[in-house]
Amino acid sequence: MQKSLKTEFLGITITSPLVLPAGVMGMAFSGFNISIENGAGIVTSKSLTLKSRTGHKGPVVAEFEGGFLNCMGLCNPGIVDGLAEIDQFKERSDIPVIVSVFATNTKDFLELTKYVNKSQADFLELNLSCPNVFDEFGIPLAASQDEVHKIIKAVKQVSTLPVIAKLSPNVYDIVSIAKTAESAGADALCMINTVGPGMLIDTKMVNPVLFNKFGGLSGPCVKPIALKLIYQTYSAVNIPIIGMGGVTYGEDAIEMLMAGAIVIGVGTAVHYRGIEVFNKINNEILEFMDENGYKSLKDIPRLEKLEM
Amino acid sequence: MDKRITLKIAKIEDEAKDIKTFTFKHKLDAKPGQFIMLTDFEGGEKPFSISDCTKEEFSITVKRIGEFTSRLFQKCVGDYVSIRGAYGSSFFISKNKVLLVGGGYAVPTFYFFAKVLLEAGADITLINGARTKAEHIFADRFNELDIKAINATDDGSFGEKGTAVDVAERILANQLVSKLQPNKLVSKPQLGDTKHFQAGAWKRENKKKFDFVYASGPEMMMKTLQPLLKGVDYEFLFERYMKCAIGICGNCTMDPLGIRLCVEGPVLPKKLMEQLTEFGKYHRDAAGKRVKY
Repeated sequence: MQKSLKTEFLGITITSPLVLPAGVMGMAFSGFNISIENGAGIVTSKSLTLKSRTGHKGPVVAEFEGGFLNCMGLCNPGIVDGLAEIDQFKERSDIPVIVSVFATNTKDFLELTKYVNKSQADFLELNLSCPNVFDEFGIPLAASQDEVHKIIKAVKQVSTLPVIAKLSPNVYDIVSIAKTAESAGADALCMINTVGPGMLIDTKMVNPVLFNKFGGLSGPCVKPIALKLIYQTYSAVNIPIIGMGGVTYGEDAIEMLMAGAIVIGVGTAVHYRGIEVFNKINNEILEFMDENGYKSLKDIPRLEKLEM
Repeated sequence: MDKRITLKIAKIEDEAKDIKTFTFKHKLDAKPGQFIMLTDFEGGEKPFSISDCTKEEFSITVKRIGEFTSRLFQKCVGDYVSIRGAYGSSFFISKNKVLLVGGGYAVPTFYFFAKVLLEAGADITLINGARTKAEHIFADRFNELDIKAINATDDGSFGEKGTAVDVAERILANQLVSKLQPNKLVSKPQLGDTKHFQAGAWKRENKKKFDFVYASGPEMMMKTLQPLLKGVDYEFLFERYMKCAIGICGNCTMDPLGIRLCVEGPVLPKKLMEQLTEFGKYHRDAAGKRVKY
């Protein structure tokens, strides 16, 4: 029997378990095109807001040995223009699209949901966890069980699409937040958003490198944190998890699956290994399956769940 | 890893009103057409083409257009700025007859490129266009190089009258030059020898004036130039809004191919240019909204 990367996510069959996550390449319909041509199985839009946002002033990225800091600041063309890009992508592709939306209150989330209902999107992702807009909006909603519950419950009543909650790793007890999201009706979880935030300093000019001073951490250095949080969450909930955080090679993706993820996000690695990274990782997963005699992703064993 | 480096400004030269060249003592290892990201950590990080690059130093030539460049213009020799790069694609290095079509403050990148082309043995014709004499830059620098430089201004106040594309149109007309060439089989004509003028003793040969055309200037300049380049290979250098410069944020993506100008660009070859439907029609701003030209 031929090995296959075909799998299912919330009832939709996908040809690769790799997900283009929110914030990466998701500005233009052609950014989705190039990602799927290079092997992504699901694509996610930038986090869309009711009104367009230009985001933070630069520098918005800062690289170091273990990864990246970024503080894009939720730049996006707004929900109407953003959904137009998705509809244009959908004219020629049946690859599933997750629309990520960001708001700071239930009312705005509901308004965004109504727009997404009318689009060609397949899933709705609630970005409850952007770490880079603290000055503007304060602590991310994902830090509060009450807020997470209230928003997801309200959105679920209105949304015609499955709802995914994007969680922040920067909380004391992510498992409780995840269980709250599940109990409020979330159909899936997406984790982890960037870590920290952190900072880097230019020692000659005595200045933070990022203009926003602080930025969310991504790249290989966050993988161990992502694996741990995904594993803990997988042990405690019954809804599927989109696992992400530092996935750069096939081996990392396998670890995500073993930790309990159903599909895997690949973001920062687009810089390290080029836009071809999705096909590279797909092939590396296939090689791993070959070496170990697995015929489908379902054959890859998961860790035994933690006793909670 | 793309190392960020913080450097002192080593030299500042005035090129024209609102155009300055900043030089840094640092071995950049850049290729012609590539760009750097530059910041002063006071808000903003912008892409700049490299106008000169040697083993010891490199330069950028900047036009004052907004808040960021205005701040840069107030800096002095010895002040620090921080750069990363060089990033992006670079020009194909032709060894043959090439035409460089440059407009405005996008011309200086051809100075670095022309030096590299000359080393490769190319035969270079440059059109250096600007709106007026006051805005025309780099004429003296190009004069020092062994190239044919044609200066042009829209109002005719310096060099030929017309845009860089007007001049290109004139010299590209009949790109295939039909020339009567003596047939090689015919012996050297002698005085009184009529054989040389017999039918068949001459043959008509088609010879290209230029093997490769390169353009660097406003996007609409290149859009006007493109239809004139049928039958000749070319590359265009783009200037667009860029944010991360490392191919992640998607802000400089061009439709419908998903070309990222910071990675696959800023130099794009003919093969891609012919497929990019958004070229000269719209671009995306800092929020990713489409803005029409």
